[in-house]
Amino acid sequence: MPAASVPILKAQSRPGVPFGMLKRLACSVNGQPVDREIAAHVTLLDFLRDELGLKGAKECCAVGECGACTVIVDGQPVNSCLMLAVEAQGKTVETIEAQAAGGQLSTVQHAFLKCGAVQCGFCIPGMVMSAEALHRDDPGADETQVREALAGNLCRCGGYNRMFDAMRDTAGRDVHLKTVEPVQGQSLGQDVSRLGGVGRVTGHQEFIGDVELEGMTHAKFVSLDVGRAKLNRIDASAALAVPGVLDVVTGLDLPNPVRRFGPFERDRPPIAIGETHYHGEPVAIVLAESRDIAAYAAGLVRVDHEPLPVVTTIEDALASDAPLVQDPSLRGDDPLAHSNVLKAMEFGWGEVDDTAADLIIENTYRFPMITHFAIEPHGFIVDAGTDRMTVWSPVQHPYLLQKVMAELFDLPLGSVRVLAPDPGGGFGGKQMPKFEPLLAHVSRRIGRPVRLVLTLEETFQAVRRAGARVHVRSGFSNGGDILFHDIASDYQAGAYGDVVSRVTAKGNYLGCGPYRVPNARIKARAVLTHTTPSCAFRGFGTPQVNWAVESQINEAARQLGIDGLQIRLRNVSDKGDQVVKGDVPADGHWLQSVQKAADLLGWDTPLPQGRGRGMAVGIKAGATAGLSNATVRLLGDGSILVFAGTSDMGQGARTIFAQIAADALGAPFDRVSVIMGDTDKVPFDLQTSASRSTVFMGNAISRACEDLQAQVIEIACETLGLDADKISIECGALHLPDGPEPIFSFVQSRIGAFGELIGNGRMHLGGIKGHPLGGAPAFFEFNCTAFEVSVDERTGEVTVHKHVTVGDVGKALNPLQVEMQDEGAAIMGLGHSLFEQMLVDADTGRVRNLGAIDYRIMTSKDMPETLATGMIENEDGPGPNGAKGISEGAILCTAPAIGAAIAEATGLVLHDLPLTPERIWRGLQTKQSG
Amino acid sequence: MTPFDYMLPQTLDEACSAWRTHAADARLLAGGTDLNVALRHGAISTQMVIDLKAVAELAPDLRQVGGALRVSAGTTMTKLSRYLTEHSLFPSLREAADVVGSIQIRNRATLVGNICNASPAADTVPVLAALGALAEIAGPSGVRRTPVAEFIEGNRQIDLGVGEIVAAVHIPLPNGAQGCAFDRITRRRGVDLATVNMACTVAEDGQVTLAFGAVSPRPLVLHDQSGVLADPAAPAEARANAIESLADHARPISDVRANADYRRAMLSVMAGRALDAAHQRLAAEVA
Repeated sequence: MPAASVPILKAQSRPGVPFGMLKRLACSVNGQPVDREIAAHVTLLDFLRDELGLKGAKECCAVGECGACTVIVDGQPVNSCLMLAVEAQGKTVETIEAQAAGGQLSTVQHAFLKCGAVQCGFCIPGMVMSAEALHRDDPGADETQVREALAGNLCRCGGYNRMFDAMRDTAGRDVHLKTVEPVQGQSLGQDVSRLGGVGRVTGHQEFIGDVELEGMTHAKFVSLDVGRAKLNRIDASAALAVPGVLDVVTGLDLPNPVRRFGPFERDRPPIAIGETHYHGEPVAIVLAESRDIAAYAAGLVRVDHEPLPVVTTIEDALASDAPLVQDPSLRGDDPLAHSNVLKAMEFGWGEVDDTAADLIIENTYRFPMITHFAIEPHGFIVDAGTDRMTVWSPVQHPYLLQKVMAELFDLPLGSVRVLAPDPGGGFGGKQMPKFEPLLAHVSRRIGRPVRLVLTLEETFQAVRRAGARVHVRSGFSNGGDILFHDIASDYQAGAYGDVVSRVTAKGNYLGCGPYRVPNARIKARAVLTHTTPSCAFRGFGTPQVNWAVESQINEAARQLGIDGLQIRLRNVSDKGDQVVKGDVPADGHWLQSVQKAADLLGWDTPLPQGRGRGMAVGIKAGATAGLSNATVRLLGDGSILVFAGTSDMGQGARTIFAQIAADALGAPFDRVSVIMGDTDKVPFDLQTSASRSTVFMGNAISRACEDLQAQVIEIACETLGLDADKISIECGALHLPDGPEPIFSFVQSRIGAFGELIGNGRMHLGGIKGHPLGGAPAFFEFNCTAFEVSVDERTGEVTVHKHVTVGDVGKALNPLQVEMQDEGAAIMGLGHSLFEQMLVDADTGRVRNLGAIDYRIMTSKDMPETLATGMIENEDGPGPNGAKGISEGAILCTAPAIGAAIAEATGLVLHDLPLTPERIWRGLQTKQSG
Repeated sequence: MTPFDYMLPQTLDEACSAWRTHAADARLLAGGTDLNVALRHGAISTQMVIDLKAVAELAPDLRQVGGALRVSAGTTMTKLSRYLTEHSLFPSLREAADVVGSIQIRNRATLVGNICNASPAADTVPVLAALGALAEIAGPSGVRRTPVAEFIEGNRQIDLGVGEIVAAVHIPLPNGAQGCAFDRITRRRGVDLATVNMACTVAEDGQVTLAFGAVSPRPLVLHDQSGVLADPAAPAEARANAIESLADHARPISDVRANADYRRAMLSVMAGRALDAAHQRLAAEVA
C-alpha cells in the first residue's frame, strides 16, 4: 500500500473559465485529503489529470474498453473515464503515482520491467493498476485469473505474454520467458533493461497529452457524419457565445488558396475547403480555454451541407461513372487525373504469358482497411508566431515535419523547432504531418499555443492501412516449383495520397515474396476513395499482397500434395539468390528461419485430432535511402550523451543506442543518456520507419563513437607521449603498451570535469537512379510464421494453440527487445487476420465501427495458448554487429499462415480477411451445402 | 459533454421526489458505465444527474427473502458474482455477470443498471427473464413488481413511470432442483458485447425455459411445450427440432456485429450447449 506521505504531484490552479455546475468534492487521493470544487460533468480522469496534475492515468478510448485510465477506488480497479469526479465523494482514490512509494518500485512494477512487459508505455499505468489490484487480491493468481484481470486493458505494442510472465513472477512462480539481466561487460547481445522503463511503470513518462504550457489553448474538430458533402454556410455563433471559446476557424479563414501538403502528392488541405472528402474530415476547429469547453462548443457549430455521392470501395472507385475523389486540377498533368487511380505501376521479369505450367491457380483476395489503434491517440501542439514556430508532435520523424512546416509557412528550417515526445505507439500512423499545419494556422491567428488531442474515434478518421484487392494467377510444376506469378493489386487509398503510392510500390515490388520466381508480372494501383487517408502501417504494403501470394503457395501445396514446409524449402531463396531479378540478392540464410519455425511448432509431430497447421513466409524491404546523423558527447567523467533524431515509440531504440555507445566507449550502461525528439538539439535523422533505426542510427552512433575513439587515441598520444600505432581500442578500452584502460576511466583522468569530447557519425544510403523504390533496400526483413489451430465448426471460432514466428535478425543487439517487438508484430497480425476491419457504409461513406466498442483488437484473453519467437543470428546484416531491422517481420505473413492452418483443420479455404467466426461459419455452411 | 447538475439523494423518498421534479430533464445514475459513455458521446444530454449510490435503501445488498434472491439496485456485478459463487446459486446469472465488460466495468456496473439500460445485447437480461425475475419498482404510489421480461419494453425502453425507481431485482429461488446456464457468442474472447446470448433453465419438474438476447428488442422468453428438451436422453434429431422451433421465434437483425442468419444459427448452437450444461447442473443437484 502507498505511504500516506506520497505527494500529489502538482496542485494546479486552473486560471480558466468556469464551466458547468460546480460541486464540492472531498475525497482521498494517494493518501492525501482533497477538497475541491469541480464541475459535475467532469470525469474522475479529467479531475485527476487536469485539476490535480496526476497525469499517470491516460485517456484513449473514453468508453471503458482500453483501461488506460484505470485507477483504484476503495480498493477496486475502475475506469476513471467512466466515473464522474463527484462520484468519488468520500472515496479513497489511488493512482499510478502512488505505486512507487518512497522511490521503490512496487512488486508489480519491478516484475513488469524485469519481464519486458513495457514498450511504448502508454497503456502501462492502467495495466499496472489492474495488475496491482489482482496482486493484492490474490497474490498467487493463476494464468486464467491473470488473463481475466488484464482483459480490460488494451496493449497494442506487445503480446500480453510478457505481462503474464510478470504476474508469474509476482506470484513467485517460475517465469517462462527471458528476463532482463544486469549488464556485464559488453552490453550488446544482452537482455538489457529498457531505458525509460521506470518512467513508464510509474506514470511519469510525459506524452503529448501531458505537456503543459503557459497559455495553452485547446482545440476540437467539427466534422460531419457523412463521407462527403458540399459545405454551405457554417454558423459558429452559438459556439462563439460560450464563455471560454476563443475562436472558431473554418477553411474560409485560411489563406486563399491555402497551401496543400503531402509527402508525394501535395493534395491535402489543412482543413476541408468547400467540400469534405471523407468521414470525419474537419470542417471547423473550435479553440477554447479548456478541452471541455472546446468539445461542448464544437457540438454547437451548425454546418449547412449537402451530402454528395461517395465511392468507398475499389470497385466503386474504378467504375466508369464513378465520381472523382480528387479534382483533376489538383493533379497537374497526371494522365490519370480524370480517374480515381492515383498511381499505377508495373514490375516484373521473365515471360509470364508464355510460361507453361502443370498447375495454374487463380484467385482474388481481399484485405480490409485496418486502423493503427495506437493506445495513445494522436495529439499535436503548435505555438506559432510570424517568424518562428514550435511544434510538439509524437511524430516518427521530427525533421520531416520540420521541413514541411518550414515550406508551408515560408520559414527557414532553423525557425521551426519540432519537439517530439515519445509516441505512445506509432506503427506508421504517426508518420507524415496530419494536423500540425492547421494548428499552426490557428495558433498564429490567436497568438497562443494550441493543443489538439484526437479522440480514438477521430484517429480512425485520421489514419489507417490501405485495404487491398489482389488478383493472382500462379503457375507451378508438378514437383512444386513456382514457375510464375501474375499479380494485379489494387490498394485502397483514401481521399488524399499521404504515402499510399509508396506503400503500394514497396509492398508490390516484392510481391512475389522471398522466393526464386523465374517469371513475374506485378501490376499495382493505388485507388482513391472517399475514406480515411491511408498511410504508413507496420509492414508498409506487404501484408496485403502477401496474404494473396502466400495463400496461393499454400493452395498449390494442397493441390500438389506437398506440405507447406516442403514447398517452401523447395522455393524460398537462400542467401545470394535474387528475389527480384537484377536487384540485391537475399541477405540471409532464410531457409534456416523456415526450418526453425517448423521445429518450434513441431511440424513433424503427429497432428492432434481436429487441428490444422499452416505456415507462411514474408519479406519486406528495409529502408532504401536516407541519412541519419548522430552526435555523441563523451563528458569529462566518462558519462555519455547520445543525440539521435530517432523516435522511441516502444521499439526500444533508446536502449539499443545506449548499448552501442556504452560498449564503444567502455562506460557502464547506466552512465549513458540518450537525447531525442528536439530539432534544436539533435542532428538530422530522416525518420523512424521501415525498421531502420538500429541499422541507420545504430551505425551513425557507432561511427560517432569511432570518431571519439580516434580523439581519445590522439589525446593518449599527446599525454602519454606514445605513437598512435602503439595504441588501439577494443571493446571500449584503450590498449596501451602497459595494459588496457577503459576509455571511461581514461577520460576521467586525462580530460576531467572541465572538458569533453564530441563525436559525430552518420549513415547515408544514397538512392539508385531509376530504381523502382528509389534505391536498393539496406536489408530485408524475413519472417516465417506457423500456426496450429482448431476450429469450432458450429460457431466458426478459432482457437490458436500455437503461434510461432522466426525472424532473420542478423544479430539481436538486445534479444529481449527483439522478442518483444516480434511478438507485438505477430499479435497485431493476428488481430487483422481474425477480426480487425474498418466497416464503411457504401451509401454514405460513414465508418460504421468507429471506436473501441465495435472495432476489436486483441485482448489478453485472445492470446494464443502459446506464442513462441525464434530468431536466426548469422551476423550478416548491415547494422552494428551484423544487425538487421526486425520490427515488422512477424506481421507480414500472419494471415496466410493461419489461413492455411484453418484450411487444414476444416477444409475451408477463404480468400477474404478477416477470418471472423461468422465468415468461417458461412464458408463451412456453403461448403457443406455445395 | 453538455454540462449538467448533479444531486446525491440520501433516501429513496428524496430520490423519487427529485426524479419526479426533474422528470424528463434528469437521468438516474447507478454504476455509470453506460450513462457516462452516452453523455460523453452526446447520445444523451441531460440537465440533472441523480446519483443513486447514496440512497440508503438501495445500498449494495443481497439477501434471500420471500422465496427469492433480492439484489438491491446498488449491487455491482462483482458483488453479485461473488455472492452467487459463495452461495452456489444461479450459475447462469453468475456466468452472465462475469462477462459484463471487464473487471473495471463490473466493479461499477450494477445488475439493475444493466436492466434499466435495456440494451438488447445485455447479458444478464435473458438470464433474469429465463429465471422469471421481477423488478421491484418504488414510486409515488408505492412499490410494484413486474417481470423483468415485461419491464423491458424495447430497445432502450423500459416500463418506468415518472418518479419511479427500480429498487431491486427478485429472482425466485427454485422450489426443487434447477439447472441453468448462460451462453453467448462474441467476436473475440476478451471483453466484448454479445453478438447473441441466451439463458436456459431446466426445472426439476421438466419445465424448460429458453431466453434469447440480442435477437429482438425485448427479451424473448420461450417455454418448451414439446417436452423433448426436458429429457437429457432425447434423440438428437428430436432435440434439434425442438430447439429449432423455439429459435424460429427470434427475429435477429443484421448490424455491424453480425448478420441475421449467423445470429439465428448461433441460437441453436448456444441452446444446445446451454441445455447440456443446464441438464448437467440439474443432475448434479439432484444427485
